[in-house]
Amino acid sequence: MTDIPQPPNHAHGDYTGSGKALFFLAFRTTLLTIFTLGIYRFWAKTRIRRFIWSAVRIDGSRFEYTGTGLEKFLGFLMAVVFLALYLGLIQILLAWFGMTLLSPAATPEGALLQTLGASLTGLATVPFLFFAIYRARRYRMARTRWRGIRFGMEPAAWGYAFRAMAYWALTLLSLGLLTPLMTFRLERYMTDRTWFGDERFVQGGRWTALYAAMKHLGIGLALVLGGGALLGLGAGVGPNLLGGLALAAGLVWLPVGVISYRVQGFAILTRHKRLGEDITFEAQPSTKTVILTYVVGAIGLAVALSVVTGIFAGAVAGVLSLTNLDTALQQMPAGAVIAGIIAVLGYLLTLAAARAGALAAITQPILRHYVTSVTLVNLAALQGIHQRAGDAGADAEGFADALDIGGAL
Amino acid sequence: MQPGTAFLYDGQTARRHAVAVALTEDRTALRITGDTIPAPLLWPLQDLRAVPGHEGDARLVVTRHADGVDELQRDPARLLVDDPDMAAWIERTRPRLHKRDLRGGTGRRIGLRIGGALAAVLVMIFVILPALAGTLARLIPLEREQAFGRAVRTQVERSFGATEAGTLDCNAPAGRAALDSMVARLTAGEDLGYPLQVTVLDHPMMNAFAVPGGQVVIMHGLLDNAESPDMVAAVLAHEIGHVVHRDPTRHALRTTGSVGLLGLLFGDFTGSAAMVLLADRMINASYAQGAETAADGYAHGLLRNAGLPPEALAEMFETFRREYGDTGGIAAHFVSHPQLAERIEAARNAPGPQTESGPVLDDDQWDALRAICAS
Repeated sequence: MTDIPQPPNHAHGDYTGSGKALFFLAFRTTLLTIFTLGIYRFWAKTRIRRFIWSAVRIDGSRFEYTGTGLEKFLGFLMAVVFLALYLGLIQILLAWFGMTLLSPAATPEGALLQTLGASLTGLATVPFLFFAIYRARRYRMARTRWRGIRFGMEPAAWGYAFRAMAYWALTLLSLGLLTPLMTFRLERYMTDRTWFGDERFVQGGRWTALYAAMKHLGIGLALVLGGGALLGLGAGVGPNLLGGLALAAGLVWLPVGVISYRVQGFAILTRHKRLGEDITFEAQPSTKTVILTYVVGAIGLAVALSVVTGIFAGAVAGVLSLTNLDTALQQMPAGAVIAGIIAVLGYLLTLAAARAGALAAITQPILRHYVTSVTLVNLAALQGIHQRAGDAGADAEGFADALDIGGAL
Repeated sequence: MQPGTAFLYDGQTARRHAVAVALTEDRTALRITGDTIPAPLLWPLQDLRAVPGHEGDARLVVTRHADGVDELQRDPARLLVDDPDMAAWIERTRPRLHKRDLRGGTGRRIGLRIGGALAAVLVMIFVILPALAGTLARLIPLEREQAFGRAVRTQVERSFGATEAGTLDCNAPAGRAALDSMVARLTAGEDLGYPLQVTVLDHPMMNAFAVPGGQVVIMHGLLDNAESPDMVAAVLAHEIGHVVHRDPTRHALRTTGSVGLLGLLFGDFTGSAAMVLLADRMINASYAQGAETAADGYAHGLLRNAGLPPEALAEMFETFRREYGDTGGIAAHFVSHPQLAERIEAARNAPGPQTESGPVLDDDQWDALRAICAS
């Protein structure tokens, strides 16, 4: 034992991104995306990621996002070649099935066949969706660094796609009761294939532990079912009132339960993750904070946007009122043209502001909460971690971009 | 530059090294030394590059340019400069600090990928999907196609303000009989492949269209504006051409295919739905020209066999042009306007019947048809 104070062997996550900076970055890049007919979206996403990654800090070291817009654009073009063929065929076959099976079936067997046929074609894109989800995460990991060391994921997208479909089927068949099994196994599949340098992440714990996170979902469901049952019985004013109240409470409780499952599920999974043998994680995110952040952000954004929309609408109305509408439409004088330009510009600016505002006022604060709730335990063990080889990342998330999954980040 | 201290991530381990940084004697490189790194590092000044993404942070993160190492063309090592003087000196003296370095042959790769993706999409939209739509359209059972057509027609009626299917249908008995006799004369001895169903819709627009499943809808404005029953018969013959060629069904199939594809291309950026619709309209315009010409050709033959002059179609087109020609919007101006002239020409040059057997309807029938919506 020594008396020299040792630096703590653990570190809390820290998030330094400012809302204003992110808003203007997202606003600028969204406008650029609109004016380039969507081509800039790869660079836009890359710049926003770079901003967010480098705002996350653990033990004084920032994360670094090293992806480039160009490689995403090239990856997208590659995915388009495959998906153009595949999706074009799927769409037209779907339409054909829709037409052929549209009319009500004469027999129950016919109806079953129809549903089966339609859903089989509908399912044709699903493997690609899961494939793309894994590939996208692998790409993001391959482009993430901390202390100069690369993260990485093993190439296993098809294995993930098949497992994801199997677990989804199981979850649907069990009416959602096996959701924790799906959540846990799929997260474990990905975590166990994730590396930081030459050290592998491990997802420990048991899937049944996630049932604890489903508590509020269960309460909400019970309220809805119970309230509905009471109403269904229709016996007198008292039970009806009670049933209605329970139903209303349940309908509010259900979304809260969904968020609670996501937040607390994340916490449970994170607490059972390990990096190598020695490095562990602690996570204490608060469902209440996440919901409050969301509600406050959404209300603020709605108010701000309605003010902006009001200003633009006022400008359009003002310009139009200066010109006679009937003659305006016939001869298109300057007034109508100006009003039209203001309207279109106002629409585009409002859309861009809404997107940027949602990112800065909702997504980022929630992310900040998640990041600051995480603690890394046993910093000393990081010293022994070595670099891993880079991952060329052939399609650079192109499949996810082409299939429109992955959201703002 | 004065010597100073900094932190180094060496790119090989996750260890944080406290290092001393100074210029070499010949002032061409940074010399990085530290107790925990095995040998001093020499970073040539011309290779120094800033790591982006730390804007708003006082400190500068520097790395080295290194060809072919990774996606950024950068050495994985990072030097964290917190010393304000050193950071300012590097910023001031290194013009290439914020340069982006691209791998050689990037331009060629971009060109190849763009070309490949464009080729795939164009081949799909203009070759594979139309061919497939044609094949699939023939494979749909008749009653299914009719059911689909009824659904389409209901939607069209709704868009014209009908509250329920059928409320806009015109069914005055005498007019109906006149219409039936017109259809009978046109289609006598023809195998259409469909049980043809012609209806009149009570709407002032001057138009007629074919719906999947053998339905042809004439809008009442067409009857009002046509100067003779032969002109109505000519339009009807043209629409029957669409029916026989299964154009409405093919069109619906092909559109769903290409809209799916275009959605893929334009992604989910703000306003992409508008882009998809616009692009689809342009693609359709190019298809429509071929389909219209084919339907015209069919109409010429049908009119001739019925002992009617194909020229009636030309007259009808001229009426269209008078009515809509100058106010049809930019698209109409560039796409169909010059083409309308060609179509008029073609109808005028089409060989007429050996013997004209008189107008398709007599005066009483024609009056009855024009009054089909008055009931």
